[in-house]
Amino acid sequence: MMEVGRNGATWSALQLKNHSNYFMYPEPLNDLIDLFEHLPEQERRENLVVMADNAKRHEPAEGAIFDLEDVRKDEECTDTVGIYLRIDEGDKLYFSVTLGPMVQTLTKAMTSILCRGLNGSKPQAILDVPADFVPRIIGAELVRLRSQTVYYVLSRMKTATKMYLDRRRALA
Amino acid sequence: MMGLQHYLHSLESCLFPVAKHVILPTSLFLSPMNPKFSAYSQPDSLVDTDWLAANLNDPNVRIVESNEDLLLYDTGHIPGAVHIDWRRDLNDETVRDYVGIEGFTAICRRHGITPETTIIFYGDKSNWWACYAFWVFQLFGHSKAKMLDGGRSKWVAENKPLTRETPKFSPSEYPSPALRNDAEHRAYQSQTLEHMTAKRPMVDVRSPKEFSGETTHMPEYPQEGVLRGGHIPGAKSCPWATAANTDGTFKTAEELRQIYTVNLGFQQDDDIIAYCRIGERSSHTWFVLKYLLGYQKVRNYDGSWTEWGNMVRTPVEKSF
Repeated sequence: MMEVGRNGATWSALQLKNHSNYFMYPEPLNDLIDLFEHLPEQERRENLVVMADNAKRHEPAEGAIFDLEDVRKDEECTDTVGIYLRIDEGDKLYFSVTLGPMVQTLTKAMTSILCRGLNGSKPQAILDVPADFVPRIIGAELVRLRSQTVYYVLSRMKTATKMYLDRRRALA
Repeated sequence: MMGLQHYLHSLESCLFPVAKHVILPTSLFLSPMNPKFSAYSQPDSLVDTDWLAANLNDPNVRIVESNEDLLLYDTGHIPGAVHIDWRRDLNDETVRDYVGIEGFTAICRRHGITPETTIIFYGDKSNWWACYAFWVFQLFGHSKAKMLDGGRSKWVAENKPLTRETPKFSPSEYPSPALRNDAEHRAYQSQTLEHMTAKRPMVDVRSPKEFSGETTHMPEYPQEGVLRGGHIPGAKSCPWATAANTDGTFKTAEELRQIYTVNLGFQQDDDIIAYCRIGERSSHTWFVLKYLLGYQKVRNYDGSWTEWGNMVRTPVEKSF
């Protein structure tokens, strides 16, 4: 049986019982964290590469219409990143993302993970997601000062969500 | 580019005009000389992508990829290439230092490298980390080492083959080097301070804003914990990228001489120190100065700005 938290994230009673952090993550993201953090190092790398390969699948479909588009090149990222946000019935958010060719492999992988893990969540659930899951997914071996842009896409998704909410409030 | 067969034929004609039946082991083949390379001080310190494509299966060659992007090797690499991770493999995990003799020997043995193996280094970021790995190998005296001109990006741009298959080599019996020759290739902070005081030549290869002190991190990178911005007093600014073309290849000898000999005024017998922020960009410049331009005494200050800019009571100059 699933329950819904204050931020719209869902979790099972068993998950709730076993993990104090479960309330923080939307369930699909939770599943991905669970998957990655128990993988041996080599399998973790292989799965991250698969995720990176799939990043293109999360690009906007041709002709798709979005409620918000935020495409820019920030100094802390090596290339342009575009965040495209669509709000569906029930106030659920769906992200599409474009990545410039110079973006690091880990950032590509995290883009796939975040799209799969966050799509369908409510705005507050996105804003509440803490970034502490990142090392659990990529593992200590890959946590480096120069791989910090792995956090960048999450921050851009949160920024886009906040921009959308601000805009909606202004129009209300 | 000359084809391999044609090259072998011309090599035989050139070197063995009488005994044409002599068959050379592949490891003895000279690089089919890229015309650009011949003007460098050590032309054989580089190979080009065509040469490497023709020598992928040479058992006496080991290809080593070293990147900043930690998963790039896993996404596909030059067939037969092994991965050397600059931090995991080359750095000591507890002391800010490089691996010792034992650690270096273990890397070589693991990858089936012997002292006779010619190592071809390549990587992302115009070979920053490949130059860094090359430099670490020189600390241990592995002189049979070359850089792939243009690195990974040129190989990929030319649609040359990539694979995800990780090669397996039989472990070698690489003998332990007698020493890690830091004195020749590496400058410590105290030596750099003496160098500064003596007003000997020093090149800061970071971006202009890092040099001036306007920023403490390079563009598009996170702050790596430096408390002071600026540069070592007396150092000249010459960003590493000055030496590279947009495709990642090294500029011609003539262009490099214009930059370092004419513009910076470096003399052949100068004692030169290069630095950046953690020593990888300056490895690129170190390679250019030592191998392409033939400066005899060039050291890389690998502590670089993350050490100097944090050191208590160490002088800093700003130009911002």
